[in-house]
Amino acid sequence: MTTLIEFAALGLGLGAVYVGLSTGLLLVYRATGIINFAQGAMAMWGAYVFAQLQKDGSLVLPVGTLYFPEPPGVAVSLLIGLVNAFLLGVLAHYLVFRPVRRAPALAQVVVSIGLMVSLQALAVIRFGPNSVKVDSFLPDGTITVGSVELPQRELTMAAIMVVLAAIAWAYLRFTHSGRATRAAAENERGAVLMGFSADRLALIALVMGTLISTVSVVLGGVLTGLSPTNYTLLVVPALAVVLVARLESIWLGVAGSLVLGIFQSELSLLSTRSWWPTWAQSGLDQVLPFLVVMVILFAFGKRLPARGTLQAVRLPDVVLPRFVPWKALALVLVAGVALVVLSPTYRFGLTTSLIVAMLALSYVVITGYLGQISLAQSAFAGAAGFTLSKLTTAWNVPFPLAILVCSLVAAALGMLVALPAFRIRGVQLAIVTIAAALAIERFVFDNYSLTPATGNPIGRPTLFGIDFAVRSGRDLSRLGFSFMVLAVLVLVVLLFVRVARGDTGRAFLAVRANERAAASAGIDVRRTKLIGFGLSAFIAGIAGCLIGYSQGQLSAESFSVVVGLTILAVAYLGGITSFGGALVAGLLGPLGLVYTALHQWFDLGDAYALITGLGLILTAILNPSGIAGETRHQVEWLTGKLRRTRSLPAPREPADAAVAPSAPAETRRMTTGV
Amino acid sequence: MSEHPAGLRTEQLTVRYGGVVANSDVSLTVEPGQVVGLIGPNGAGKTTFVDAVTGFTGSEGHVWLNGRRIDGLAPHRRRQIGLTRTWQSGELFGNLTVAENILVAARPGGVAALGRDVFGRRRSRNDQVVERALTAVGLEGVGRALARDLTLGQQKLVGVARALAGTCELLLLDEPAAGLDSHESLEFAGRVRAIAEQGPGILLIDHDMSLVLGVCDVVYVLEFGKLIFTGPPDAARTDPAVVAAYLGVPMESVDA
Repeated sequence: MTTLIEFAALGLGLGAVYVGLSTGLLLVYRATGIINFAQGAMAMWGAYVFAQLQKDGSLVLPVGTLYFPEPPGVAVSLLIGLVNAFLLGVLAHYLVFRPVRRAPALAQVVVSIGLMVSLQALAVIRFGPNSVKVDSFLPDGTITVGSVELPQRELTMAAIMVVLAAIAWAYLRFTHSGRATRAAAENERGAVLMGFSADRLALIALVMGTLISTVSVVLGGVLTGLSPTNYTLLVVPALAVVLVARLESIWLGVAGSLVLGIFQSELSLLSTRSWWPTWAQSGLDQVLPFLVVMVILFAFGKRLPARGTLQAVRLPDVVLPRFVPWKALALVLVAGVALVVLSPTYRFGLTTSLIVAMLALSYVVITGYLGQISLAQSAFAGAAGFTLSKLTTAWNVPFPLAILVCSLVAAALGMLVALPAFRIRGVQLAIVTIAAALAIERFVFDNYSLTPATGNPIGRPTLFGIDFAVRSGRDLSRLGFSFMVLAVLVLVVLLFVRVARGDTGRAFLAVRANERAAASAGIDVRRTKLIGFGLSAFIAGIAGCLIGYSQGQLSAESFSVVVGLTILAVAYLGGITSFGGALVAGLLGPLGLVYTALHQWFDLGDAYALITGLGLILTAILNPSGIAGETRHQVEWLTGKLRRTRSLPAPREPADAAVAPSAPAETRRMTTGV
Repeated sequence: MSEHPAGLRTEQLTVRYGGVVANSDVSLTVEPGQVVGLIGPNGAGKTTFVDAVTGFTGSEGHVWLNGRRIDGLAPHRRRQIGLTRTWQSGELFGNLTVAENILVAARPGGVAALGRDVFGRRRSRNDQVVERALTAVGLEGVGRALARDLTLGQQKLVGVARALAGTCELLLLDEPAAGLDSHESLEFAGRVRAIAEQGPGILLIDHDMSLVLGVCDVVYVLEFGKLIFTGPPDAARTDPAVVAAYLGVPMESVDA
């Protein structure tokens, strides 16, 4: 019993961090209707500045560094850290969130994910990828209550954060502008009529939220040290708490945060007991928030306030893909010739691009066509990859069959994660899927009793005596493998085109446009969503298998949540509603052709992730139809111009070649039976 | 003869929103080929009734379609067996073409459809389905336009066409004529009759008195969620309860 209470008190430390993050999330949401996935990443920056000042007196700016002759005191460091947080909040407001205030939910989610990816990448660049230790400036003793010894440090942290949450609450409750913020959440025009600029209220909330969250991460750093991924993703449990607080109540958020912290602490205690199964020791701290989210959504799903979620995910129009045999053939030929002539390094880059294009295509299905936001695609891919490792090594399932089976496993997982989509949509679904992805990553991929640390080798793919493995002896990028990937991609694209042009694709688009009308037209919305998640996870699963084959053995890093978000970023950059967009995404994607080229020419290092993140923010704000969509518009414009002047037809745009722009007039004419 | 003959029959349909009773014991019948009007002042619960019958809001009481009890079925199931509806606000899929809007209803997807999409041969009956539905509402040739590019009046007609596609045993029209001018409205009345002659029963809800009273075989009048009148249109014009409840002014002055 004593131990239980002591662990509960220890859990208050983590709980305090959640209080800071969830209070910040709630403030921003109340003022703008935006769920800020970058809340943890934003809070991390100020905390890093603080930690670095404490460590060696260097004040790290996004560009350049100032040096103090000797490390300043805690108060000065904290002040400087908070000034940084303040400036970050102001910048984020004007450059990132204000432009998308009236944008659809998807653009808002994407923008905040772009910010999250950028800040994490910037933190890696400026502070290094490794954990930075923070010396404790909090009281370290214990308070003895009866026979129980309670840690002063955790209690202090919780107390500080509860006070800060109370200030946020009081701001909303008692100040004039706080009341206007609450009014604006109900009715923005009302607040404007009261004489408030909704914009200024949003700025105040974002800055205040960033400051409070930053303090919590500064405190949290004392417990755990700071690492870029860690605190970026700590936003996920906080998001779970925010859902528990029904996106409204700061006090429910505080209570939920502390309870979650305590629960996680108790779980870590229980999981060391001998009766606790060893396979269930890893990643429990992430499984718990996921379960919490699921239970809450199933219990209260429909009653969650609907602000910012009622509005359908408005996306650029889909141009139905048309299969034009000679264009498709030309595209395959170009890719094939490129694979043959390129040097092994570039060949591997192009091959990876083909695989990433497949992953991006899975986003096109789920988001571009069905209008659902899934942040779990990398987890689906990973599930297939890890199954592949088991199937090919333990059970000797032969090569093409193994891919099919593993992708079906991924599809089943996708449908499981889709269950909450029956009740929720938009940003809430994004929260559930990222929580699911993180739970799968930590509980399965990082779990040594399921996926041994010694590695997860994958059997060599051979068919009819032909070896399709990526390596053989000193050849690290075999042509056979590349051709196999190209063939699989062609099959996947054919699958996509057939589905997109068929009844299923039309049903997807109908659900995307209007679920109520879809039901009144006879569409089973739930089943359609299940099919969509299943299909998209299936495609992601195929990509996951190919990633596995391309490495010969699997590592969890290939399928981390952050990788998934980066690929979402490039998919959105390329254009989330078209196959052409997926191809562009493939070329731009991590380890793809462009990445390889940049790496060969410059020492890009970690800047790639930063550029991707910034590109994502810019795309979401300026050009939601992505690079492929923009190119298509320009090609259409050019074609129109040239036709009018009776000149030669416009040059073919490579990214869109197989998906020729087809005017709405042509979309129903079945020109070919693929 | 079966107790529940062909057509639509509701029995004591009641809808509660919290403490508010939006529909109270509404029982009505629409036979195949019949055009039945449902009128009533704003807030009388007409749209609520349509939502309850089609399954978009929870209700007590029973609903039969062609002798089959359908309360408890999900909205899309009711649509698939032929209980179709339109919406006041159109509710088209704005990002799809008119033809695709209609095809959604004719072939709503599903697992079997996925199999056909992937492995099956292409079918070419699409154009016929679309043209038949569009002809029924007098919108031939707009199939290739994007739904959101049409006028509101046209969008509502496309809504009717969408409701006619696939199986349509009974059609509930929720204010289909709002947004049409008086000439178009007259034309629309003719089409409603023509549709009914093809077989399906029609429940018509509208504010346009001359449309409803001119085209319907039977009229039901709803006030505060309760039926206050059932009978032929002519009787409705003169029924004192209807006149008093509906507008507080004699019907003739509305018609004029």
